[in-house]
Amino acid sequence: MNLEQEGRAAAPAVWPKRLGQTAALVAALLAAVVLAVGLGSVTIPPGEVLGALWRGLTQLGGGAELTGNDVIVWQIRLPRVAMGLVVGACLAVCGGAFQGVFRNPLADPYLLGVASGAGLGATVAIVAGWPHSSIPLAALLLALAAVSVTLVLAREGRRFPPTRLILAGVVVGSVLTACTTFLILRGEDRARQVLAYTLGDLGFSGWRDVATVLPYAALGCGVLVLLGRALDTLQLGDLTARSLGVPVERLRLLVVVAASLATAAAVAYVGIIGFVGLVVPHVVRLAWGTTHRVLLPVCALMGGTLLVLADLLARVTLLSQVGVVTTLLGGPFFLWLLRRERHG
Amino acid sequence: MRRVFLCTLGLALTGAVASATSYPLTLTDDLGRKVTLRAEPKRIVSVLPSTTETLCALGVCDRLVGVDDFSDYPQQVTKLPKVGGLYDPDIEKMVALKPDLVLVSKYGKLVEPLTQAGITVLAVNPETYEEVFSKTLTLGRVVNREAQARALVLNMRRDIARVEILTKNAVRKPTTYLEIDPTPYSIGPNSFMGVLLTKAGARNIIPASMGDFPKVDPEFIVKANPQLMLGLDLKTARSRPGWQNLQAVRTGRVIEIPKDLNTILGRPGPRLPQALRGLARLVHPELFR
Repeated sequence: MNLEQEGRAAAPAVWPKRLGQTAALVAALLAAVVLAVGLGSVTIPPGEVLGALWRGLTQLGGGAELTGNDVIVWQIRLPRVAMGLVVGACLAVCGGAFQGVFRNPLADPYLLGVASGAGLGATVAIVAGWPHSSIPLAALLLALAAVSVTLVLAREGRRFPPTRLILAGVVVGSVLTACTTFLILRGEDRARQVLAYTLGDLGFSGWRDVATVLPYAALGCGVLVLLGRALDTLQLGDLTARSLGVPVERLRLLVVVAASLATAAAVAYVGIIGFVGLVVPHVVRLAWGTTHRVLLPVCALMGGTLLVLADLLARVTLLSQVGVVTTLLGGPFFLWLLRRERHG
Repeated sequence: MRRVFLCTLGLALTGAVASATSYPLTLTDDLGRKVTLRAEPKRIVSVLPSTTETLCALGVCDRLVGVDDFSDYPQQVTKLPKVGGLYDPDIEKMVALKPDLVLVSKYGKLVEPLTQAGITVLAVNPETYEEVFSKTLTLGRVVNREAQARALVLNMRRDIARVEILTKNAVRKPTTYLEIDPTPYSIGPNSFMGVLLTKAGARNIIPASMGDFPKVDPEFIVKANPQLMLGLDLKTARSRPGWQNLQAVRTGRVIEIPKDLNTILGRPGPRLPQALRGLARLVHPELFR
């Protein structure tokens, strides 16, 4: 598990060395977007996709009605792909930041109860039969509430010791999950809907949803990326970081709040997508080293790419839900990665 | 017309030649278990709403000593002791009711503990359209009401045929998307509800190859561009990306299924004809004026 040790002393000039890799990743991202817009239950030939994009762009101000496959490209696939990019980037960046701030390679964005809070919020809205549009709102509110409770429980005076945070997160998560289970048992006929939510799905993402999530995601992830250098210093241990002038407690709180806000917004709209936030930072560390200044932006690119591809798989195979794909493929991949670590 | 006459004749005949079940009766239930009933069951617990309805339709409502939380029809079963639901059954309560037969679903885990408590358990789960009739006959044998079961099946088939005669000749059969939950899940034409939808005079947009309860890609629905949508409201349909210009949405043919109709639609039991009639009214209101 010595992921932290490698490349600790990486030179600050990491970017030029990794330019080739980064360019390849950007190319992969673009390829994933093109593929994902072209493929699906309705196959649209590449030429027609380009045509649809062109027509959409040229008529955007014209107010002309989109017809046929243009509707599918512009109103269903593109927003779905955009949502995949935003959420994937969000989960990977937050996962990377959490792993850094807790110095724990097993940390993921759901560590402090965001997912179970969102899950409970969504379940309440679904079982109570509230309008569909209220589900994200209920999920967001309860996700943030869950993190707040975790923070209150973990507090020791003005400090937030990592171990206490993780333990409090586990407790809050368990309690909320139990509440969710209880609600599902009471509203059996809606169990499938709740299950679908807790597995994560990009199904009905529209432009409006993307526009709602984007500000939270950009704000949260932006703050985390800016905190990269401080996170790098923190890797030397709390004491050393303090002596170098890093306000450790404030940094920890800021990272937790920023990541929870971004994750909660993402989760509220697409449900709980597993493994992206855990695995992507590890993959990036292997290829790009452990400097957070580099790690976090690259995480955003790779997380977005992976989630778009996973959703594409979900759409064209029987797996049908992006959360199922990430968990089914992410699990074995992660184990393989750990084995390689040991033998390497 | 001649068919109706023959049916009535058949009814009269079956009524005349009342056949009795002889016990001990051995049959294979829906979990593939061989079950032997030593005598005619007199104290029955039903853990499936459709089974409850079938037993009452066979005239043995008075033999029920307990039902699951969801059994709510006919009225008189609501006064019976409740023994929980599929996921949280109250096994102790069932045993305390001293039943000589518990009719369970093939889902859930009731068979083992009840059998260990020395209670006879039978799993009966009508899932396809035809099974609704065959399981009615099975239940008829179980409670020694075979003639009534045959009459009930004939009645149901006749009532269904009456609706079908109307819808068969409908001029326009709308292409239809039926949503069973907003994930979205729909129904295939071979599922129990799918058969009803077809009989109601609708053309299901879901092909049989997608299975009985497929999770549908929203794109597929946009591409199919149905003329009618059931199971959601117009506001929801409008708010979904790319749905504003679908035929059904533009013409306002997006209809929420009323709660009581939804309940019987999900119950493969004796109220099948009512379910079909209700569905046909939504698909072809012009035929029921």
